[in-house]
Amino acid sequence: MSKREIFDNIEEVGLLYKEETGEIISTIPPAPPADTTEEFKYIGGYTSRIDGKRIATGKAPFAQDIKLKGMLIGKILRSPHAKAEVMGIDLGAAQKLKGVKAAIKLTNGTVNYVGQQVAAVAAVDEKTAEKALALIKVDYNPLPHTVTEEKCQEEGSPQVHSKNPNVTKFRDYKRGDVEAGFKQADIVLERTYSTAVEIHHPTETHGSIAKWEGNRVTVWDSTQAVHSVRNALARVLKIPAGQVIVIKRYMGGGFGSKLGLNEQTVVAALLAKAAQRPVKVFNSRKENALCVGNRPSTVQEMKGGVKKDGTITALSLINYTCGGIGRGDGCDVPFNEMYKCDNCTVENYTLYTNTGASRAMRAPGVTQGTFGNDGFLDELAAAIGMDPLEFRRKNYVTKNLGGTGIPYSSKGLDQCYELGAKAIGWERRNPRPGEGSGKFRRGIGMASQIWWGAGVPGTKADVCVYADGTVEARCGTQDIGCGTRTHMAVVAAETLGLAPEDITVKLGNSDYPYAPISGGSLTVPSVAPAVRDAALKAADWLKQLAADRLKVETDNIVLADKKLFAADDPEKSVTIAQLARQIRRETVFHGERKGLPQGYAYNSFGAHFAEVEVDTETGKIRVIKVVAAHDVGRVINKKTAESQVIGGITQGISATLFEQRILDQNTGTLVNPNLRDYKIATSQDIPEIVPIFVDIIDPRINILGTKGLGEPPRIPVSAAIGNAVYNAIGVPVREIPMTPDKVLAVLKQKEALT
Amino acid sequence: MNEFKLAQPKTLEQTTAFLSQNQGKAFVMAGGTDLLDEIKNNTLQPEVVVDLAAVPGLDTISKEQKFLKIGALTRIVDLIEDSDIKKHFPGLVQAALSLATPQLRNVGTVGGNLCQRPRCWYYRDPEVNCRKKGGSRCFAMRGKNRYHAIFGGGVCYIVFPSDLAPALISLDARAVIATGKGEKTLPLAEFYSLPRQNIRKENILGNSEILKEIQLPLPRAGFKSTYLKLKERGTWDFAVVSVAVSGRVSQGAFQDLRLVCGGIAPIPWRLTKAEGFIKGKPASEDLLRQAVQEELKEARPLSENGYKADLLEVAVYRAAMSLVE
Repeated sequence: MSKREIFDNIEEVGLLYKEETGEIISTIPPAPPADTTEEFKYIGGYTSRIDGKRIATGKAPFAQDIKLKGMLIGKILRSPHAKAEVMGIDLGAAQKLKGVKAAIKLTNGTVNYVGQQVAAVAAVDEKTAEKALALIKVDYNPLPHTVTEEKCQEEGSPQVHSKNPNVTKFRDYKRGDVEAGFKQADIVLERTYSTAVEIHHPTETHGSIAKWEGNRVTVWDSTQAVHSVRNALARVLKIPAGQVIVIKRYMGGGFGSKLGLNEQTVVAALLAKAAQRPVKVFNSRKENALCVGNRPSTVQEMKGGVKKDGTITALSLINYTCGGIGRGDGCDVPFNEMYKCDNCTVENYTLYTNTGASRAMRAPGVTQGTFGNDGFLDELAAAIGMDPLEFRRKNYVTKNLGGTGIPYSSKGLDQCYELGAKAIGWERRNPRPGEGSGKFRRGIGMASQIWWGAGVPGTKADVCVYADGTVEARCGTQDIGCGTRTHMAVVAAETLGLAPEDITVKLGNSDYPYAPISGGSLTVPSVAPAVRDAALKAADWLKQLAADRLKVETDNIVLADKKLFAADDPEKSVTIAQLARQIRRETVFHGERKGLPQGYAYNSFGAHFAEVEVDTETGKIRVIKVVAAHDVGRVINKKTAESQVIGGITQGISATLFEQRILDQNTGTLVNPNLRDYKIATSQDIPEIVPIFVDIIDPRINILGTKGLGEPPRIPVSAAIGNAVYNAIGVPVREIPMTPDKVLAVLKQKEALT
Repeated sequence: MNEFKLAQPKTLEQTTAFLSQNQGKAFVMAGGTDLLDEIKNNTLQPEVVVDLAAVPGLDTISKEQKFLKIGALTRIVDLIEDSDIKKHFPGLVQAALSLATPQLRNVGTVGGNLCQRPRCWYYRDPEVNCRKKGGSRCFAMRGKNRYHAIFGGGVCYIVFPSDLAPALISLDARAVIATGKGEKTLPLAEFYSLPRQNIRKENILGNSEILKEIQLPLPRAGFKSTYLKLKERGTWDFAVVSVAVSGRVSQGAFQDLRLVCGGIAPIPWRLTKAEGFIKGKPASEDLLRQAVQEELKEARPLSENGYKADLLEVAVYRAAMSLVE
C-alpha cells in the first residue's frame, strides 16, 4: 500500500502524517525508550512456529475448509465486456432452477472491466450455482474501451472515468532547483525503467462465508484485516459495527490483495440474508486474476545529474503508472528519499484503462520505484567510473528526504552494506560492467531498500492469566502466514518466564482488541509492543502476588523458568498456577503500543546483493545467490524472520524474471488467467538465500525497538538482480520481467552499437 | 465444467466401437492431466469421457527383437525408469525428464503426451472462439504471440507442446493405431497434421481411432541422441524452443543427424534443410548455425516471437555439438 493508504488507515487511531517532512505525529504519548541491555531467552531466538505442525499436516482450518449446516454455495456472474452499459438483468430463469435459494443483482449502471460483478446466486451446490449463472440473462450494450497503457493515452481514446482524463496527475514532489542542479553536473543521464502489471495470486483465492443470526452476521474470511472488514461491512449493510463479527483463522497469503473489504464478502452476506442460510463464496483462480487487484505497471522516466566526485546534483522522475480503473502507484519513495540530493522533482501520472482495479501489493510504488531508482543509480555510477557501493556510501544520508529532512531514529544501512558485501564477495564482481568473457557471464549487483514499519500507535492486546495459571495472549490482529501467532507467544512467554508453547494465542477475530491491517509491514511493530506491554503488567501483578505470599520485597522477586522466586533466596518460590488459583478467576491485562516520539523519521532499511549468470545466447538469467541484509530493529523471532526474507526474495525473483499480466490489446481479454501461463517461480528457480539481520534496537520506535519486515525483503530484489545482470553483460535490462527475449534484445542493441 | 458420462471400456474393440457410436461427443482420456484440465476450464464440454484405464496391456514396455513396444498408457515415470530406454535412448529420457513436474509425470502417459492439445491461450479460453474451435479468426496472429509458431502457421499459430514427440520422431518411432477394423502402423512423424490440413486437430486419428502403442527401433552401434529444451522456468514449463538430435557422428563429421524441434510449429518440426546442409560435413558450431539459418529462411515470425529464431540456432548447435566427442 502506498504511504497515503497506510496513513489513511491509521488516522482512525489519531495519527497524522506530514507529507512535507515524512514525520508521523501521534496523539498517543510515546512509551519509554526500548531497553537495549536486557538479555532475552526467546526474543531474538529461533522459535519454530507454534502452529507449524497443524499447518504442515493439513489440520489447520482455512476458510475454504469451513462447512456450516445448511450452507449454500454462492457464485458471481461477471462482465465479459471491458466496458458496457447494463440495460437489464433477468434473474427469472435462474431463480426458478431447482436448488437455487437466492439470486441478486449487483449492478444497475455500467461495467468498466472484464470481470466486474453483475449478479450472483446462491444454490445448494456449486454445480447448481454454475448452472444458474448460465441462466441469468444480461442485456449489455458494449461500449468502446481501452485496455493498454499505450492505447489509453492516444488522442480520442475512450475515456475510462467520466470525471478524470485517462492520464491524470495525482502527486507531485519538489525540493531545491533541479535545473540549476543539472547545470552543476559533469554528466547528465536520462533513462526509462519500466515494470509490468503483476497479480498477487495468493495460494488461497479470495473467499468468505457469511451466516446471519437475526440482525447479527458472522463472516469467516480470508483477510488481512478483520477490523477493517468489520467496519466496512457494517457500513455497507447499514447495521451497527458490533453486529458484525469477522473471523480469520488460517490463510494462504494475501500480499495486499486481502486488505479491507472484498466484494465477495458483501455478496456472501447479501446472499445469506436473502436465502436465510449461510453462504460461502470463493473465487476461482481466474476471478482472482481479473478482479481482486494487481500491482500497477510503471514507466519511470528519470533524469539525473552527477559530478565526477560522485555528488548527485539533481534528480527528476516522471512516473506513468497504470492500475486499471484504479489508481497507479506513486514512485516518490525511494527516488526522493534514499540518496543525498538537494534538488529533486517527482511527478506521478496515473493511466486509466478498462481493466480490474489495482490494489496495494507488497511495498506498492516503492518496489517498482526501487527497481528504477537503484538501477539508474548503477548507470550513474558507471558513467563516472565509480563502484556502485562506493557511490551509495558517498551519498549516504542520516536524515530523510535525501538528507534534507528530519533525522532517522535509527538507520543501520551502512552495516547492511558492509555485511552484505562481505557475504556475497563484492570484490569478485566485474570492476566495470560487462568485463567478463564467454557465453555465460557472471555478475554481482546490489540495491538498497527503504520502507516504513513503525507500526500503529494505539494497537491493543490483552494478556489473560486464567485461574488455572495458564496464560493467553489475545489480539485482533491476523496471522496471514508470517508467524504472528508465534511472535505473540514468544513475546508473552519471554515476559512471563514461560516457554512459547505454554501460551495460548488467540487472534483473527474482530471482537478481540484493536490491531491494524496486516499490511504495510505494520504487524510486528504494532502487536509485539502491545503484547509486551500487557505481559509486563501481568508480570508486575504476579510479582506483587508472589511478594505478598513469599513475604519478600516485590523488587526482590524474579519471574523466570515458569516460577517466581526471591532473588536472594531461590528456595522461596511459587508457581504462576499457585498464585492464579488463589485469585479463583481469570485476570486480564490490557496492553497498548504507545506513540512515537516526534522529530524523527521511522524507517526500515536493507541491502540486497545478488549474483547471476546470464546465458548471452539464450537470454536466460540464472540467479545464483542472494544475500539480504536487513535493519528491522530488534528481531523478535529469527526463524520466522528468515522465512519472511526467503519468501520475499522468492516473490521478488519471480516478479523479476517471470511474472506479467498479459492482456490481448485488441479484445481486452486476459490471456494468462491461470498459473500455467501466469508464470511464478518454481523451486528450481530459487537459489541460495542468505538472510542477515543487523539487529540494531531502535531506541524510540517502541518498547521493543522493533520494525516491520513484511515488505522489505521484496523491495530491492529486482534492482539487485538487474544490477547484477548489468554487471554481467555490460548493458542494463531496464524492464521487468527480464524474459529471454528482452535480454537478447538489449544484447543485440549493444552489439549494434559496438 | 459440464456434466459428462464416464465410459470405461474393457477392451480395445469395445473402445473403438464405442467411439464409433459416439463420434464427436466422446473424448479419450489416458492420464487425464490435460483432458480434465480442459474440461474444468470449459475449453471442452464432452458428453462422454472414455477412460482407457481398464483396457489391459496398454501400460507396459516390452522388447521385441528389433524394437521396443511402448504402450500408450505407459506412465512417463515408467518410461524414464525403463532399463532399455535408459540404455539406448538417452535423448528420450532427457525429453521425458524435462516435461511437466514429478507429480504430472507420475500420472501422465506417453500416449496422452503425444495426443495432448495445444496450450495456445486463445484456444484454451472458453470465451474465445478461434479458428481451431470453429471460429473465423486466429487471435494470436495480431494479438499476444510470444509463445506461438514461427514455422507452419498461416491459419493457426499453435505450437505442439509435447517434449516426447520430437524425441521419438528423431528416433524413427512408429505409431500403432487401433481402428475399428484392426491396427495400422505409420511413422510417428506422419501421425501429426498441420492446421492447414485439419485445423480442428493436431493428428490424423479418426473419430473412432486411438493411439495404441509406439514402436521404437533399437539403434545401431554408434547411434546417439540428446534433447535440449529451452524454457523460461526451471521446471513446469513448456518448451519455448526444444530440439531432439539423434544419429551418428564419426570422425568428427555428422553422418545422418536428425533434428526435430518442439515449440516452434503446430507439429513437431523437422529441420530437413539443416539436416541436408550438415550431412557429411565436419561438425562445428558455425556449420550448425549456418544450417539453421538456411532453415530460418522459411520462418514466418509474428510480432512478438522473433526471438525464437535466435533460440533455435543456439538450441540446435548446442544439442548437436554435445554429441561430438
